Formats: sequence, C-alpha cells, structure tokens
Amino acid sequence: MSLATVTTLPWVEKYRPKTLDDVVNQEEVITSLKNILKTKAVPHMLFAGPPGVGKTATAHAFARDLYGQSYIEDGWFIEINASDERGIQTIREKVKMFARQIPMGGEIGFKILLLDESDQLTDDAQHAFRRVMEQYSATCRFILAANYSNRIIEPIQSRCAVFRFRPLLKKDIIDRIRWIAEQEKLEVDDIALETIYEFSEGDMRRAINTLQAAASISSKIDEKTVYYILGYISRGEIRKILELAMGGNFTQARDELRKLIYVQGLAGSDIVSAIYRELFYLDLSEEDKLELLDLLGEVDYRIAEGGTEEVQLMAFLAQLASKKKRRQT
Amino acid sequence: MTQLWTERYRPKKVGEVVGNPESVKAFVEWMKSWEIGKPIKKAALLYGPAGVGKTSLALAYAKEYGYDIVEVNASDWRNEEKMKAVVGESSHYASLEGSSKKMILVDEVDGVAGREDAGGLSALRKIINETRVPIVMVANNPWDQRLAPIREQSLMIEFKRLNKTTIIKRLKEICEKEKISVSETVLSKLAERSEGDLRSAIMDLQAVAAGKPVVTEKDLEVLGVRNRVREIFEALRYIFYAKSVRSARAALEGLDLDPETIYTWILDNAPTQITEPDELAEAMNILAKADMVLVRINKLQMWRLMKYAIPLMTGGVSVVRKTPPKGFQKFTFPPKIRLMQQFKTEREFRQNISLKIASKLHLSAYKANKDVLPYVGFIIAREDKSRHSLSQYFEFTNEEIEYLKRAYGEVKEGREAVEEKKEKPVQQKKKKTGFLS
Repeated sequence: MSLATVTTLPWVEKYRPKTLDDVVNQEEVITSLKNILKTKAVPHMLFAGPPGVGKTATAHAFARDLYGQSYIEDGWFIEINASDERGIQTIREKVKMFARQIPMGGEIGFKILLLDESDQLTDDAQHAFRRVMEQYSATCRFILAANYSNRIIEPIQSRCAVFRFRPLLKKDIIDRIRWIAEQEKLEVDDIALETIYEFSEGDMRRAINTLQAAASISSKIDEKTVYYILGYISRGEIRKILELAMGGNFTQARDELRKLIYVQGLAGSDIVSAIYRELFYLDLSEEDKLELLDLLGEVDYRIAEGGTEEVQLMAFLAQLASKKKRRQT
Repeated sequence: MTQLWTERYRPKKVGEVVGNPESVKAFVEWMKSWEIGKPIKKAALLYGPAGVGKTSLALAYAKEYGYDIVEVNASDWRNEEKMKAVVGESSHYASLEGSSKKMILVDEVDGVAGREDAGGLSALRKIINETRVPIVMVANNPWDQRLAPIREQSLMIEFKRLNKTTIIKRLKEICEKEKISVSETVLSKLAERSEGDLRSAIMDLQAVAAGKPVVTEKDLEVLGVRNRVREIFEALRYIFYAKSVRSARAALEGLDLDPETIYTWILDNAPTQITEPDELAEAMNILAKADMVLVRINKLQMWRLMKYAIPLMTGGVSVVRKTPPKGFQKFTFPPKIRLMQQFKTEREFRQNISLKIASKLHLSAYKANKDVLPYVGFIIAREDKSRHSLSQYFEFTNEEIEYLKRAYGEVKEGREAVEEKKEKPVQQKKKKTGFLS
C-alpha cells in the first residue's frame, strides 16, 4: 500500500465510537443511557457483554456527553483495569482514593469510575467493593464492565443497573470494516471480509486490528492476505511448537513453549485453548487425537488447579512427540 | 562510623556516574541548555529500573555545578497544595546574580499517581509550564496513564540495567577504598546476583564484607548464594542411572537443595538423557504428576506428601528409561535457568510495550500483550515511513521498535517456512468447517 494512507493512530482508536450514536448495534442500551443523560441521575451501572462490542467505548462516550470534552483531564472520569490489579488492594487504595474525593466545581456533583474487566476481581475484592459503592455514592458513580456478569457477586449486581451488550452481528462487523476500508482507501474483497469476520469471533477490536495489519502488506486485501496475517499473528507460534514436537524435536519445542510463557507472558490456559483448536487438524491418526485430547483436558484441569504451566504442557508435547514416531513405524 | 556504602560512594561528580553514557550525556546537555536560556522542555523525566543511577546523576550534577536542590521526596507530600507550596514557590524565581542556582528534584513521580493526592500531578503539570528552574523527575515506571501529560512536557531519558563488567568495576573501586580484598569470582557473583542493579550490588558487598579484610566465596553464603553445582551433577547421575525407585530416591539423601530446584534440574535434563520418545513421554507424564504433588504440598502445607513427590520425580526418570543413551550424555545446567536470564530483557521489553498499548487503548496489560501487541508489531515491522508515526503514538523507544521489528518483521527462515507450508491446508479446512482461530 502507499505509505501515505497509514495514519498515526491505531485504527481501533481512530475509529472508536466517540459519541453514543456511533456505538453499533446496542440501540436499547444507548436509548436508556441517553435518558439517563437527560436527567443526570446516573446510577451505578454494570455493562455486561462479550469482548470488543463497545462497552469501554460506551462508558467513555457517556462520560464525554455528561462532563464535556475534557472529562478525563478535569478529573471527572477515571478508568481502572481490574484485570491487571485484581486484588482487594486495588479497591482499598486506588478505587477508594478516587471515589472519596469530592469533586470541585461543575454542575454535576459526582465523578465516574470505570472499572474495566471487573469480572477479573477476586471475590474478596468484590466484597470490599460493595461497601465502597454505597459509602461513596454521593461523590462517585461506578460503571463496571465485564464479559461475564455471573462472575460479579450478586450484592454488586443488585446495586447496579445492568445493561446487556449484545454480541455484534456479522453485518455490523462487515459493514464497519468495509466503511473503515473506504476511509483508508483500501480494496477489500468480499471473501476477505468474510474471513476477517470469521476470525474476529464477533470482536470488533480484533477485526479492525486484522484489517490494519493486512493493510500494512497491501492496499488490495484478499483472502490470502488475511490468512497470511492470521497464520502469522495468532496461530503461527503454537503450530510451530506442535510441529517441532511431532518432528521429534522435543527440546526445541520446549524452548519455544517457554518463550510463549516467559517472554510473551501468555497464560497456560490460553496456550491450552490454542492447542485445542489446532489438535483436530494435526497429521495424526484419529485414535491418537482422542488420546491427546484426553490428555489435554487433564493438562487444562491441572493448570487450573495450580500445576506448573510449562511442566504440564511439556508432558503433552512429549506425548505428542511419541505419537508421531509410532505412526511412522 | 558505619555509613551505608551506597551513600558513601554516591557519585559526587557527573563523571563518576557509572553506566548509561547516552542518558548521562542527554541529561548534561539538557542541564547545560538552561545556562544559555530556557530549553524547549522544561522538565526531564529520568526513568528505568531501580539502582542504575537516576537520582544519583541528578544529585551529582547539582553538586558539581553548584545547584541547590529542592527535593520533593514523593513519600512525604504530594497533593496539590503541597506541590504548589513547595515546588511551585521555588520554581518562580530563577537564580539571582551571585546566588546559587536551583534544581527541583521530584523523586518517584510514578508514586504520585493513583494516590490520595491526585491533585499533585496536575499541579506539577502547571508548575512545569511556568517554571524558570529545571525540574528533574525520576520514575521506575513512567507509563502510567496519568503521567501522559507530564511525559509530553518532559525530555524522556531512559536508564537501563547496568552490565556485569560495569558493576564489577565499580565494586572493585569500592573495595580498594575500603581496603578490603575481594576475589574476582566473588565480585562477579555479586554482580550477577544484582541483575544490573548497582545499588543492590553495593548493599550486598557491604553486607558480606562488614569488618573483614578479606572476603571469600564462603562469605557469600550469608546471602544464600551457594555453589552446589558439582553435588547436583553427581546426584543426577545416580538418579538417572538408578535401577529401582528406592535407589533413585536415595540419590537425594544428603543433598542440601530444595526439592523445587532438584526438580528443575531433573526436568531439564530428562530430554537429553531419555532419547526414546515413548519413554520420554512416560517420564514427562510422571514428572507432571510429581509437579501436582509439589503444588499440593505448597498449597496445603502438607509436607508429608513430599514422600510421594521425591520418588516420583526421581524414579520417574530412571525406572522408565529402558533404553540408555548411546554413550555418556553430559548433564547440563538447566537451560531454563539460563533462558530465564536471557528472557528477562525481552520480557521487560514486552511488558513495557504492553503497558504503553494498554494505557492508550483502554485494555489490561495482559490483553494488550496477547491480543494487540502482535498486530502492532506486525504493522510497525512492515511500514517504513509510517513506522515512526504509529510508534510515536504509543511512545515506543527506538529499542522497542527494534525489538518489534526483530520479533515480527523479517522472520527467521524456519518460522516463515512453517507459515508457508501450513497456509494452504488450513485455508481449505477453514472454509469447510467454519473453524475459527
């Protein structure tokens, strides 16, 4: 592609909905939020829904509409991501500190704290949080964003107005990607669009990132371009490890596995999921696949129990390595 | 009088600051620019890991060139009012003719964010805008979202971990001045332990050298560093060549190492000692079970379970091995331990990159790392002219850009080959099954 078309912004940011009207396929939620804006009686809110459907963006757009453009700068709005700081400490320190301060000036007497990925909070932290919600509701309202509302304890849910964000439809994602492609002067054919959608699993962020990555290779994007990105970005490394093991190169497979865990910092459970996806397509007998599937389930369970990720996964790779050999002889 | 050596040997001149020559140069040039008029950036943010000389550089410069330091030690006060009162006041008046010059030092500026005194940062921001005095800030992690405006106002100067030779050299100088004799090996070990943190190395040195004219390797044991490598090699030989579970287990008797460490040695030596894939699979299977026992021991503090872990981890690799390797296979220092050291820098790179992405894109650092970093890397690695602009958006340093290019750019042939080969069949499958990532 011509370099001039690439902008300084990541497209997920550039094309992030800026107003409530920009949010795609969440009409009911948006209508309710607009009503709230009219009365300025903001309840605590829980935004529940799958990743990449616009929960965070909606929270920001809402705050911008409520406080004006400099809603962050003026200290009205803060965003804390619970996934990086899941413990009770986050609540006792960060959240409380922000919530207890009485805002200065302005017609609205309270601030808003967005607690993103709040389903990642530990139970203890959630219990600490429910007091905070009441204690400081005069000075601060909370928006909790979560993928799974059932991981939020009931007392918190009962203190919130719950808004369910719908998964995005195929059409929503394809239309948006097509529109961005037009803005960026890209040619994307229909099969490529389908492929981007399929891979996105309904996550707009992932779809847009894929498009931008594809655009860095060519301004004409076809199916092949997209597959190239997909293989490269998300699947290449796992596949390489599995192939090394099957090719009898256990130690190399092990070293690559360690890189994933210790350099990239991937969680064992995510690596298990990625292996699971590839497993069905490996060059093995079906009986072997069944056996490996059984083992992988065991690995998954043990990791959840606290087993050492690399050790449990190595046991799987060693088993895989022995399978390949058996098949050849 | 006993004084902390870290204080006693704090550099008194810029020339005495060890390591990070580029950063030192950048800082000195910036300070000099105050002498000839106001520089464009009125604040400098010195950032990097602990114990590499950030604060020392500022102090040394002040001492050498006769600056009075107004230090905002971030642990005392940092709310809006105090910030204005102390920092703001001092920043109004540039030095008068004849009187001494002033420098404002805000230590641990990353500690201000997220604390009770939130107003402090915005106050600081205003002060920087109006200051007539250089403001030097120090931080370990400058990538906090709330520091973004301050980052823009500041000259960002990165400090890196010091390399081993640099640390050894400095330790040697201190030994000479303290008139103690310390062998090269000991210094080298101290430097290694410190992982690039000179302050901790000097602390350790003082701890082991306290009141002794000669420091030997034995003294290092105070620090818990023990060289048991030879013993473990011997034990490994017994373990892998044992004929019964009982004798395999016995190999650990008298070996004063914790079970976790022994486990790592066994785990990493198994693949070279057990060459038959079936046998290796079985061995790894048993080691994985031993791992679970160790997990339970830790979790439930059930030490009596150790009697199962030990025979599993030792017998698991010996009794299972039916086919001895051809010839003698050397036992090795666990690659894991070596790799972890190598990985450290890379991991830090990725962590920093992820933090930057996370703060810009409203994500957790973990998600940024897993879901976004590969795309960003891919794009940055492929765009020449625009590379600059996207990385500027994320405020990546040149080293970080280089890292992304290495990791996601022109890939090593092996990996590219794997991609090429697998690309087609997956395409077909995907179409038929609707199989997702």
